[in-house]
Amino acid sequence: MVDETTSPDRTIETAGQSTERTWTRRRVLGTAGAALATGISGCLGSGSDDPFESDSPQGAPIDGEGITWDDLGDLEGELIVYSGRTRDQIDPLFAKLEETYPDFSIASDYASNEAQLNSLTEEGDATPADVFYTQSSGALAALKEAGLARDLPTDVVDAVPESKRDPDGQWTGASGRVRAVQFNTETWTRDELPTDIFAYAEDERFAGELSTRPNSGTFRSFIVAMLELEGEARTREWVRALLEDQDVTLYSSGSQQAEAVANGDVSVGLGNQYYAARIIGNRPDAPLDVTFTQDDPGGLFNVSGTAILEDASKPNLAAEFVRHILAVEGQAFFVETNGEYPVVDGVDYDGPLPSLAELEPPTFDLNALGDLEPAIDLLREEGMTV
Amino acid sequence: MGALTDRVTEIGPAVGRLLRTRSTVHLAALLMGSVIALLVVSPLLWLFLRAGAVDLTRAAELVFAPRTFEIGGRSIALVVATTLASVAMGVPLAVLTARTDLPAKRFFTVVIALPLVVPSYIGAFAFVSAFGRHGELTSVVGLELPRIDGFLGAVLVITLYTYPYVFLTTRAALRSMDASLVEAARSLDASPVDAFRRVTFPQIRPAISAGALLVALYALSDFGTPAFMGVSVFTSAIYTEYEAFNVGYAALLSIQLLTLAGVILYIESKTGQAHGETERHHGTPIPLGRWRYPAMAVVGLLGAVTVLLPVGLFTLWVLRGTGGAVPSLAFQPQHAVNSVTFALLAALTASAMALPVAYLGARGTSRIARVLERGTYVGFAVPGIVIGLALVFLGSTTVPWLYRTVPLLVFAYVVRFLPQAVGTTRSAIVQFDNQVAEAARTLNAGPWRTFRQVILPGIAPGVVAGGTLVFLTTMKELPATLMLQPIGRDTLVTIVWAAHESLYYEYAALPALILIVVSGLSMAVLLSQEENGF
Repeated sequence: MVDETTSPDRTIETAGQSTERTWTRRRVLGTAGAALATGISGCLGSGSDDPFESDSPQGAPIDGEGITWDDLGDLEGELIVYSGRTRDQIDPLFAKLEETYPDFSIASDYASNEAQLNSLTEEGDATPADVFYTQSSGALAALKEAGLARDLPTDVVDAVPESKRDPDGQWTGASGRVRAVQFNTETWTRDELPTDIFAYAEDERFAGELSTRPNSGTFRSFIVAMLELEGEARTREWVRALLEDQDVTLYSSGSQQAEAVANGDVSVGLGNQYYAARIIGNRPDAPLDVTFTQDDPGGLFNVSGTAILEDASKPNLAAEFVRHILAVEGQAFFVETNGEYPVVDGVDYDGPLPSLAELEPPTFDLNALGDLEPAIDLLREEGMTV
Repeated sequence: MGALTDRVTEIGPAVGRLLRTRSTVHLAALLMGSVIALLVVSPLLWLFLRAGAVDLTRAAELVFAPRTFEIGGRSIALVVATTLASVAMGVPLAVLTARTDLPAKRFFTVVIALPLVVPSYIGAFAFVSAFGRHGELTSVVGLELPRIDGFLGAVLVITLYTYPYVFLTTRAALRSMDASLVEAARSLDASPVDAFRRVTFPQIRPAISAGALLVALYALSDFGTPAFMGVSVFTSAIYTEYEAFNVGYAALLSIQLLTLAGVILYIESKTGQAHGETERHHGTPIPLGRWRYPAMAVVGLLGAVTVLLPVGLFTLWVLRGTGGAVPSLAFQPQHAVNSVTFALLAALTASAMALPVAYLGARGTSRIARVLERGTYVGFAVPGIVIGLALVFLGSTTVPWLYRTVPLLVFAYVVRFLPQAVGTTRSAIVQFDNQVAEAARTLNAGPWRTFRQVILPGIAPGVVAGGTLVFLTTMKELPATLMLQPIGRDTLVTIVWAAHESLYYEYAALPALILIVVSGLSMAVLLSQEENGF
C-alpha cells in the first residue's frame, strides 16, 4: 500500500531527466494502477529474503584489475531474471554460475527485448523480476527512462568505461558487438567493398545488390545512431537513396536475409555478424563473409547489458550477480561463446573479428538508443518497413 | 367437445409450467453468458487506458497517415481473399467427409483438419524454404519451382492453414442437420447441386459463416505470415510501435483494427442468421462411385502440401541432429506435458464458458445480448501481443497472486480463443430443435436433466468441434504464452520459438514435430468422441 502512494514521487526522483511525455504517461499509469490494484501488490516485494544486507561488495569490489569469481562473494538463493537475450547466448553462463554456487539458482524468463521491456513497464512495481538482461542497450535506456531501474553500486559503475554503460549508472553493458556488412564471396572480394556506410547508398555498383532488415532492433538503433551523428537530412537521404536508387530488398527475418546473401539472391546484406557466423557454422563452404564500415554509424557499437529493477525483491543479490558478469570468467564467456567484445578494460579480445581499435566505432551516449520514435517515424515516412 | 375441453385444461398447466421454468433457465443462461462475455472483453479496457495517454498530435499523424490507409486497404484485401478461398476449400471438403462414402473417412478428416495445428509462421517458413530457386523442394524435384512470397503468397499460406476453421464448423453442422430433407428433395428430382443450394446450404450457412468469421479475424490479426512474405499490413504498424516501446500507439492502432473487426462481425451477423429448426437424422451417404479416387488424391495432396512439407523439413533437420551445442534448447518430455495440460485446460474451460455465451447469441432476444456475444470475438481479432500485454498489466496489478500462474495463462487463452468455441456451439444451438427439449420438459424432466440428456447430445458435435479448435490453437499459441507462462515452464512452442530466435533451427525440429503429432492424435481422439455423439 505504501508503494502506491509514494511511487509518483519516486518516479520524479529516479527519472529526473525524463521528458514531459513520459512523466504524463507514468502518472496516468500510476493513477490507473492505483485504481485497479487491490493493495496486495504493495505488500509484496519487501526484499526480506535477499541474502545480503546491502549492495556493497560481498567480497572484492569489481573495479579492481583481473577480479575473478573467487574474489567475489558467494551467490545464494533464487534470482529472477527477465532476459531479452536468447538462451544460447546467456544460458551457459547462468548454468556455470549455478554449478559454481550450489545454493544459487536463476529463474530465467525469455522473450524478445521489446516484449520484456513492455511487460516490465506494465508490471510496474508489481514485477516479480530482479534483473533485466538485454540483447541491446536501447531497452535498458527505455527502462531507465520509465523510472524502473535502480542505481548500480559505485564499484560496478567504475568497472566499465562510460561509453559502454549508462553515464548515470543505472544500467551497464556486459558485452559488445558491432553491426556488419555481410557479402557473397562469389560476387565481391573484401577489398571491393567500401568502409563508408554512405557509399553503399551512392555507389551504382550496389543497385539491386543490397538487402537489409528494417524491423530489427539493431537496424532501428543504427538509424537512431545515424540521426544522432549525421543529422536528419543526411539520414533521410541515405534511406531514400537505398530505396529509390539501389532498390534495396527488405527482409523481416535476419536468418532469411543472411541465407539470401549466401544464396546470391542479393549479394550484400547490412545486418548482424552473427547471422552470417551461424550459416557458416552450418555450411562451412557457404560463399558468405562479413566486413565492417569504419568510424561511422554503419559499424555501430552496441552492448548487451543488465539493469537491476527498482522494485527487485533481491537487489543486493542482483548486485553481486552483476559483479560476476563483469568478472574475468563472465567476460571470457562472451568472447569465447558469443564472439562478442568484452566491456571491461583489462580483459583482452582475442577473437577472429577486427579489434575495436581498428574499427574505430563512433562513441556517443548509448541512452540515445532508448528513444526509437524519430527513427521509426522516419522509416515509416520513407516507406522502409516490412 | 367435452373431451377436447378436458384435454385443453390438462395441457394448460403443463404449458404454464414449461413457460415458467423455461424462462428461469433462459434468464440464468443469459445472465451467465453476459457475465462471461463481460469478463472476456474486460482486458480490452486496457487498450483504451493506454490509447488515452498518447500524444494527440502524433496519434493523429499516425492514424491519418496515407500509409495507414494503404496498409489498411491491403489488410482488407487480405481478409477478403483469404476468407473466400477458405470457404471455397472448406465447404466442399466438409461435404466430402460428412456426406459421402469416402473411404477411410476418419483418417482423411484428420488430414484435412491437421493444417490447423501448424503455426502459420512455421508454415510460411516451410514454404519459403521449400520453394524458389534455392528451395529444398526445388533441389529434390530438379525443376525450378516458383517462389512463394508477396500478397498472393500470404493469401495462399494463411488459407492453407486456416481453411480448417470453415471445414470443422461446416462439418459439425452437416453432421447434426437433418439429411432426410435432402433425400426428400432428391426424390422430387432436384439435382444434387440444386438440393445442396436450396436445402443443405440454408441450414449450414450459419456454420459456414461462423468458420469464415474465424478465418477473417485470424487473417486480420496475423502478423507472422505477412511479415515473412514481405507484405506490410495493419498489424505491421502495431508491431512497429510495440517494438519501439510505444505501447500507447500500438493500443491506438489496435482500436482502429477493432473497428475493422467490428465491420466483419456486423457482416457476419447479417449472413449467419438462423434458418429453421430440424430434427437430427443422418441420411444415407452420397455414393462417390469412381470419383472416390480423385477425391482421395486431392485430399492427400492437400495434406502433403500443408502438413508433410513442414513435417518433412523438420524430419530432415531431426535426422541431421542438433550437435548438442545449446543444452538449454534440448527437448524434454515435460515441454510436451506442459503444452497438452495448458491446451486441455483451455479447451475445457472455453467449451464450458462458450455454452451460455452461445446461448446468449442464439436465443437471446435483446440487442444487448447479441452485442455481448459478438463482443467475445474481439479477443481473436487483436494481435496476441496486445491481449498478452493487457493481461500482464491487469494480472500483475489486480491479481498478483495469480500472475504468472496456470489459471491466468488459461484465462488468456480463453480470452483469445473463446470465439472459436462460441461460433461452433452457437450454430449447433441454432440448429437444435427446441421442441425436443420442450417435450422433455413437458415429460417432467428437470432443467439439468433435459440439458444433459437431450440438449447436450444434440449439440455435442458443435461443442466438440469448438473444444478441438481451442485445444489446437492453444497448443500453438505463442505471444501470450511467452508473456504469461509460469517462469521457466517451457512448452513445445516456446522452445520452437527460442530455437528459431537464436537460429538453432535444428532444435526447433523435434518439438515442432511433436507438436504436430500430439495435436494430430488429440484431434483424432476428439473426432472419434464426436462419432459416438458423447
